[in-house]
Amino acid sequence: MKLVVREITDTRCSFIVDGVKPDIVNALRRTLIADVPKMAIDEVEFHMGPIRDEEGNEYDSNSALFDEMIAHRLGMVPIPTDLQHFTFREQCECNGAGCPHCTIIYVMNKKGPCTVYSGDLQPLGDISLNIKEELIPIVKLKEKQALLIYATAILGRGKDHAKWQSVTICGYKNFPKITIKNDDCCFDPEDCVRSCPRKVFEVEKGKVIIKNLENCDLCMNCLDHCESSDGRGEPFIEVDEVTDKFIFTFETDGSITAKDALIYALKNLEDKYEELREQVSGLD
Amino acid sequence: MIIPVRCFTCGRVIGHLYEEYARRTEAGESAEKVLDDLKLERYCCRRMLITHVELIDEVMPFT
Repeated sequence: MKLVVREITDTRCSFIVDGVKPDIVNALRRTLIADVPKMAIDEVEFHMGPIRDEEGNEYDSNSALFDEMIAHRLGMVPIPTDLQHFTFREQCECNGAGCPHCTIIYVMNKKGPCTVYSGDLQPLGDISLNIKEELIPIVKLKEKQALLIYATAILGRGKDHAKWQSVTICGYKNFPKITIKNDDCCFDPEDCVRSCPRKVFEVEKGKVIIKNLENCDLCMNCLDHCESSDGRGEPFIEVDEVTDKFIFTFETDGSITAKDALIYALKNLEDKYEELREQVSGLD
Repeated sequence: MIIPVRCFTCGRVIGHLYEEYARRTEAGESAEKVLDDLKLERYCCRRMLITHVELIDEVMPFT
């Protein structure tokens, strides 16, 4: 197996794997989507009844959105997650009571008129748990309206709820293989270049050359155009896929880095197969 | 009502981009250019901003 990283940033990663079957790549894809954990707000406690500020003004605990909708919106906000530090509540040494190793508590206290943003969630304790995307509007408040919220974030996996899905976009495609069979084929090279929606080809010295091979989506549009300009029915371009080479791309929502997500997913897959191996060896 | 936190289709966080998008398109910039600047490359994320109707300001007086 050969791996070449094309691009890696905090939230995005793209690499080429060579010499593997699709099942391996698909296992990695499914693990990234369903099994890489992250923190997300799971329980929101709303203060009911009048809210008073220091000057004695009274506010109504009411807003334009239902409490359920506010709670749902808070759940979708990405929370910075250090996978080394946090554990699942069920596996935590506090036995599910909630401690700094498995739970983050956020407080939100806003008085109208204002727009409530995700950045208004204040973590109890560590400042490094502040929300990174500070400008996500949660709700708007008018005069005499206020919001006092205690929100509890816990660790979860994508297979339980989409809010715990740390890897958003994730997929792979076969590596394309394009051959231009006859160098003298082109009656209309410009048409050939125009026919490709992914801009794979380019004209150089009156001939079509392959410029961005990795862009190819195997849509076969170029074959149709090649045939039509030739008139004899035999396309000069051959587009095929390499069956054991893949371009893999995924993005995270920003709560963990792409590198951490990939490392975790690979470790997770390894652990699963290890468990399977142990159980199989115990059969004798 | 209010801009969704994430793109319905792919799950990318888009809520924090809406205010800049609204301000710049209001000022006369083309939506295409603003969306490109905001690095929204997939059409699922782009339609979240293009098709959004901010109704919360109309509803607020009646709460």
